[in-house]
Amino acid sequence: MGGVLVSRASPAAYGRIALGLVLLVAVLVWFLPSYYTGLLTQIGLYALVTIGLNLFMGYAGQVSLGQAAFVGIGAYTSAALAVKGHVTPWVGLIAGALVAALVAYILSFIALRLRENLLALATLALGIVINVVFNEWEFIGGSSGFKDIPGFALGTFTFDQRAYAILAWALVAIGIWFAGNVVRSSFGRALVAISAGELGAQTLGVDSERLKRQTFVLSAVYAGVAGAVYASSFSYIDPSSFSFLLSVNFVLMSVIGGIRSMWGAVIGAAVVVALGQVLQNVVPVVLPSARGDFQSFFLGVILIAMLILLPRGITSRLREARA
Amino acid sequence: MIAQLWQYVLAGVVVGAIYALIAAGFVLIYQVTGLINFAQGEFAMIGAMTASALATSGMPVFEAAAIAVLVASVTGALCYLLAIRPARAATGVTLIFITLGLDVALRGLGLFVWGTNPLSLPAFTGGAAITVFGGVLPPQAMWVLLTDLLVFAALYLFFRHTYAGTAVRAAVANPPIASTFGIPLRTFAFWSFVAAAAIGGLGGVVVAPITSATYDMGLTLGLAGFVAAVLGGLDSLPGALVGGFVLGIVEKLAGGVLSTGWEQGVGFLILVLVLVLRPQGLLGRAVRRA
Repeated sequence: MGGVLVSRASPAAYGRIALGLVLLVAVLVWFLPSYYTGLLTQIGLYALVTIGLNLFMGYAGQVSLGQAAFVGIGAYTSAALAVKGHVTPWVGLIAGALVAALVAYILSFIALRLRENLLALATLALGIVINVVFNEWEFIGGSSGFKDIPGFALGTFTFDQRAYAILAWALVAIGIWFAGNVVRSSFGRALVAISAGELGAQTLGVDSERLKRQTFVLSAVYAGVAGAVYASSFSYIDPSSFSFLLSVNFVLMSVIGGIRSMWGAVIGAAVVVALGQVLQNVVPVVLPSARGDFQSFFLGVILIAMLILLPRGITSRLREARA
Repeated sequence: MIAQLWQYVLAGVVVGAIYALIAAGFVLIYQVTGLINFAQGEFAMIGAMTASALATSGMPVFEAAAIAVLVASVTGALCYLLAIRPARAATGVTLIFITLGLDVALRGLGLFVWGTNPLSLPAFTGGAAITVFGGVLPPQAMWVLLTDLLVFAALYLFFRHTYAGTAVRAAVANPPIASTFGIPLRTFAFWSFVAAAAIGGLGGVVVAPITSATYDMGLTLGLAGFVAAVLGGLDSLPGALVGGFVLGIVEKLAGGVLSTGWEQGVGFLILVLVLVLRPQGLLGRAVRRA
């Protein structure tokens, strides 16, 4: 993937811009119709997953086609605790992240032995196996999932759409700040060394197995947190919410924004969600026969076109323009 | 109980034969280009949907089947020319994402063209169900197995007994040397996509009378094809055949004994076990840490 290896922005700058984003969202939600506030929440949660994915794919140079499964694990953990155990979603959020991390840790011993093609295949397969478990395990609702999942609350205030949008973007801000620090540490430089060539990195004393595992687990934490918030904010989940197609969407967000960029994750999530809205409204007008999940055609074509024309994502072009 | 298990095995042989065809497509493309084509299952979808749509509008089954295979082949050619070839300089991960994009795009295209309703295709020949040691097979199963026999025999003859087949094997064994002998690697890459698409399309056509055809059948078939190819060994055509049958039988047994939801899950558990314990597959030769 090449390109700019280490961003010029300082960690403090990352923190300031991220804080600015949260404030922007906190203001916006008072003016936007509630439908758009919901979309804003969705963009934030997708961005959070993509930030984690970019650490694993963009910086460590690996590939995961099963990220939706970790989102699902976070969502199911939090929902099961809340519905079955009446545990507050705040604890569910942490539990979701921990369970996702634990599953990623165990799976990493299988998946991370593999490279490129086979790693892609293995993560895809593990993602689908996890989805089968969601479907078949009656304790967590089987194919009908969970309904009426309790929402977040602070004291007597129960979260509404606005509060979820702010929560989601606060998490994005923390996620970007943390990832920005990770990337600029010796850990982040070691990751870049792995993506440039694993053998080379090892000869420089980088424990590549361990670093890849830690990054994989970290990406699962991002996904698990997003999943837990998703479960409470939509109050309904079922296995189809975390399908293979969602994993492909995360790849698309990552590629559109720029696989080795934190802001790219935000831009990619926003573009993909906006695109989904446009397609949903425009295509049925032009082609009345279009039904179901026809958007996937455009997502696929855009993914291919991006990879051929702008393989380093939108942010790479922005950076060149600024330089 | 035994009779029940035997029936699962027979059902597994039929789906396994289809998996073997799709796995053969993977192996062809992987050997020639080093690429795992995530869109492989969609060629089967296009074959099945085209044949079913044509037959539904009144075309005789065999004509519809022939046109469907042709349409799938052209799709394969276009995939290579429009998506793979322009990105030849790209790294491995980028190419994986591109074939992933192809998969999603073709599935969406199928939805546009044929809609969400399942289409059915009449069996190639009528007749009563076939009884094998007390188990029952639909008459179409004979066509499925015959197709496997013909396709794998043709592949064997091509690779072992034709000049072009030998050249392809040389190109696979050592691309730079083969290239200096004037073997056109890019042309082979193109034809590997066409052949894989034709074989995949044929698999879709022969299975359509048994399973019926839907726009989203490609992903499931494609994933099963991967598992079969990896199980048999990604660089081995006989491996694809063996892998397909083993996977089909294990899936149907698991589905029958546990529940049908586990069919796919068991397939992937096998995949994960093979990737970890024997990455070269059952019949694969070299240990590749790809």
